[in-house]
Amino acid sequence: MPTIRGVVTIAQESRFQLTDGEGVSHLFVLSPHMLAEGDDLEGLQREQARIRVTYEAARNILGYLAQRIERI
Amino acid sequence: MDTIVHMHPRAAEYPQSDLDRVIPDESELTAGVRIEPGKSYGFFTDTTVCIGCKACEVACKEWNTLPADNLGLTGQSFDNTGALSANTWRHVSFVEKSGAEGVRGTAQQPFQSGWLMMSDVCKHCHHAPCMEACPTGALFKTEFDTVVVQQDICNGCGYCVPACPFGVVEVSTLDGKAHKCTLCYDRLKGGLEPACAKSCPTDSIQFGELSDLQERAALRVEELHARGVPSAYLYGTPGAPGATGGMSHLNAFFLLIDRPEVYNLPSAPSRPSRRVAPSLFSGLAAVAGLTLAAALLFSDAERRP
Repeated sequence: MPTIRGVVTIAQESRFQLTDGEGVSHLFVLSPHMLAEGDDLEGLQREQARIRVTYEAARNILGYLAQRIERI
Repeated sequence: MDTIVHMHPRAAEYPQSDLDRVIPDESELTAGVRIEPGKSYGFFTDTTVCIGCKACEVACKEWNTLPADNLGLTGQSFDNTGALSANTWRHVSFVEKSGAEGVRGTAQQPFQSGWLMMSDVCKHCHHAPCMEACPTGALFKTEFDTVVVQQDICNGCGYCVPACPFGVVEVSTLDGKAHKCTLCYDRLKGGLEPACAKSCPTDSIQFGELSDLQERAALRVEELHARGVPSAYLYGTPGAPGATGGMSHLNAFFLLIDRPEVYNLPSAPSRPSRRVAPSLFSGLAAVAGLTLAAALLFSDAERRP
């Protein structure tokens, strides 16, 4: 699965916006099989921590399904 | 400098364009209402002034980080959103009146030239059927009298979906949880007006305390009647269409000028929970009747030589 690095700039419920090194923002929805919850996203956003997201494409939406989040 | 009459006196305290912090109780400046826990808040959507700009849809998606969905063209007028969904919490419906039923319109109607536009949203029902159906308590009433799904509690059972008489709630295929408008619960807690109402350029969507909104809406209906629109009426206020079947009233109510069905709203929504007792008793009665019939048949068969 593809990965992307960046910083969580917005977190809302189980959705978040990741801004990569080039300043481009991407929208992700947490997969139900992930260990992370919406509350974890708030912490990452507050800390502006750099993370790596493993994701897959989602059908019929402009966004991705996040399968794994790791701090880097 | 001339005083701007409609400007809130507190607005003069913030003349700069860039603010380094959130304005305390900002809704007082933008919507004329201070948001306090324990009071009822809602939306009054005046469809007669909706211009179909979809600023509300965009503002909702932006604030709530909701992904664009239903990519492509629907072929339904200018409406490519289609319907409310797990990723679309505001939906501006376009109803073309001119040329309906294959007949070319020869006269334009006042105000909207044969177009009806309405920004649909969760109604935040006073007696919310989705909340009654939820087995986990994920759906709850907030301190602002609005209905919200707690994402960490929702188990995605989907009972709320058929319970909603307005077809608002949807379980997302992405995360398997129910999603709907929160009436910007996080913004309300921060003293901010909901994003959709704040972005509405014509004030078709008005946010405020429910009693104030209902008074304002009643006056607007009277005004429209006086201006030659006798078809104007409210949908979702106490005793009006939309507040039927034990619904009491809707916190997000509408001013319409055609039948509710034209706007894709049910003419007489009801709470499914009110049908539980009659269904149970009719089921018990059916079982009792069948038992009695069987008993009679067997007793008759036994009596025969």
